[in-house]
Amino acid sequence: MDITNIAELSGNIAVVGYGLAAIGPGIGVGLVVSKTIEATARQPELASKLQVTMWLGIAFTEALALIGLATPFIFA
Amino acid sequence: MTTTSSADQLFIKVLAQGSLLIGLIATVGSVVGYFVDSEKGVPSALIGASLALVFTSLTLASVLIGRRLSLAGFFGAVMGGWLVKLIGFAFVVGFLARAEFINGPVLFFTLVAAILGSLAIDTIAVLSARIPVVEG
Repeated sequence: MDITNIAELSGNIAVVGYGLAAIGPGIGVGLVVSKTIEATARQPELASKLQVTMWLGIAFTEALALIGLATPFIFA
Repeated sequence: MTTTSSADQLFIKVLAQGSLLIGLIATVGSVVGYFVDSEKGVPSALIGASLALVFTSLTLASVLIGRRLSLAGFFGAVMGGWLVKLIGFAFVVGFLARAEFINGPVLFFTLVAAILGSLAIDTIAVLSARIPVVEG
């Protein structure tokens, strides 16, 4: 029986890894910032407190992205 | 006369403490890297620590700048900073992953140690910070 390829993919699967490492924290950071803006719009006098908490949230979320993007150094 | 708010002071303090800690991690990483791979270990540890310093500092800088703008400007500064940082990091990693002068595991573990250390500094600073609800 002849085997026919109807679609073929070529490239490096690591690119998918880059995408996965970026998409999760990207959604996370977007949510953290949008909620901070929402809360600041409701209570502008709390802006300083909210921004400090937001920055801690971003720091934790983006740590995941940086570690995920650096994995080629040990898995490549 | 311009006054610096408590939040600004916190961010500047974290930046200074984080830089000191990452410097310490770079030193320890370089020593360990030297014993692991005498030729490539030291530059790998230094590059790993520098990457962590640049990228954690950029977050702080984007929030510091964004605080001075409107809400839309704040969103743009923080999310734009994140976008530029991630694209820059992907390019740097893409270049370094193929570089001959890099010991991958030394760079990776120094980077992870620096990021985790900087997160610890951030958390301690925020927990011990006294940010007034209303600043005049």
